[in-house]
Amino acid sequence: MRLHEFDRVLKNCITCLLTGLWAGAVSVCLAQQGTSSPVVTNSIGMEFVHISAGSFTVGAFHPPFPVPADTVKGAKRPLNMYMGEGRYSTSEFALAQTLSQRDSREGFVVKIRKDFWMGRFEVTQSQWKKVMGANPSTFSGAESDQLPVENVSWADAQAFVARLNQLDHARRYRLPSEFEWEYAARAGATDDIPWTAIEKTANLNKTHTVAVGQKQPNAWGLYDMLGNVWEWVDDFYNEKIFADRRSMKHGEVHVLKGASFVGDVKNATYMTHAGGPGNGWDVGFRVLFEQR
Amino acid sequence: MRKADPWLIAVRVALALFPALASLLAVAQPAGFVRLFNERDLSGWHVSRTSHQGTTPNFFVQDSTIVVNQQPYGQGGVLLTNKKYRDFELHIEVKIDSFCNGGIFLRSTESGQAYQIELAVPGGNGSLFGEAMSISKPAKADGIEKVWRAGDWNALRIRMTGEVPTVALWINGVFMWEVIQPKNDFTAGATAGMIGLQSHWSATYQGLPGGFNMPGAWRPGAAHRFRNAYIKELQ
Repeated sequence: MRLHEFDRVLKNCITCLLTGLWAGAVSVCLAQQGTSSPVVTNSIGMEFVHISAGSFTVGAFHPPFPVPADTVKGAKRPLNMYMGEGRYSTSEFALAQTLSQRDSREGFVVKIRKDFWMGRFEVTQSQWKKVMGANPSTFSGAESDQLPVENVSWADAQAFVARLNQLDHARRYRLPSEFEWEYAARAGATDDIPWTAIEKTANLNKTHTVAVGQKQPNAWGLYDMLGNVWEWVDDFYNEKIFADRRSMKHGEVHVLKGASFVGDVKNATYMTHAGGPGNGWDVGFRVLFEQR
Repeated sequence: MRKADPWLIAVRVALALFPALASLLAVAQPAGFVRLFNERDLSGWHVSRTSHQGTTPNFFVQDSTIVVNQQPYGQGGVLLTNKKYRDFELHIEVKIDSFCNGGIFLRSTESGQAYQIELAVPGGNGSLFGEAMSISKPAKADGIEKVWRAGDWNALRIRMTGEVPTVALWINGVFMWEVIQPKNDFTAGATAGMIGLQSHWSATYQGLPGGFNMPGAWRPGAAHRFRNAYIKELQ
């Protein structure tokens, strides 16, 4: 370990220990399961991963367009039905390129100015019951404690956060902003997620939720950022394909991120910017906290 | 001045009125059915904000017809009725450009999980598939090529009934199939849902390692069109 890395870990450990002073808190200050980010656990068993401030790009949109097979070096046959085979006329290939380039955008840089602690997992049904009492989830039953809570509205999620803040005065819990969510989900990735990586980290193409933390975590140690349940974030939805630079002050519904178990590789990506209400039975959330 | 032939005048008037008369005849509302859309705008419908097909499609009404397209390039979407239907019969006319994969969703969820009548030429036109979910018993419209009018309007009659659904399809008055599902395939066993119209996605947000794109699923600039949609709820 280099000296500056040691300093960083030491700083994180001190932060961690201070954070863990809350009665009943358990602090786990060093790497767990492949992440070097510190993790803390609160009194009801919710784990949080330290996320350092930084910056990233939102909404860089460059949809691929088809090209004639005979222009692809080494192509042995026309592309199949869903890949754009010779059905396209020359003018249609040109139109696809024109439309793709017309709609492409570079996105914009977002700065996350303050460190925060992101929920390591989606809020579970067990945690919901400890904080709120009655469990609203569709997939409930004897073995459901570690399933993510679902069938919760944005207002329900905010009620959970408010109650959590009453239980723990040492921290300030809240829903992540959309940018904080995507920053944490990307964990340093500049492009959208490769499909091979999605399959390893996300519960997709299923008929039900699964216990949180069953798939691989992302590079910063966060689980199920994609798949399992959609996650509410704090922002209003702008009815556009991606977020605006400035969050809206008013809106009809709020933003959902990350897709759910009925999602697939197309929408279980960092970039997908969806809006409520969703299906209900696949809509949950995670929370973050900041130091007070 | 020559006196006009009354017969000739009648023929001319009839010819002048023919498009309007034909239109009136074409939209004859079946007894007991109600319009599924008002033919002016998309009141009573909304776009799914959580469909994997996309969330910002180009759906609009033109000449009493719902036009379904992509927006931006590569991103489709799902147009849903605000109302949910359980047992129903739906009459709807469709006109689809070739090499565009769309469909009519039956009992759709908000995110677009549904039993789907596939609309795709070439492809599995007239098939019963699951959209964003597996269904127990798909169906294939054998012989559809004998009744389908390529590039023109085609009249679909769709009936869906039962907690465990039975779905049937007629095209241009010709029976295609009836399927009795062995079980209800919906998450949480839903027995009602929305009618949906789909434009398929064809490109991801970015080129992705390990990913592929489906430009053939929606020919650039092409569209699906729907008109004369009537529905009757069954007891």
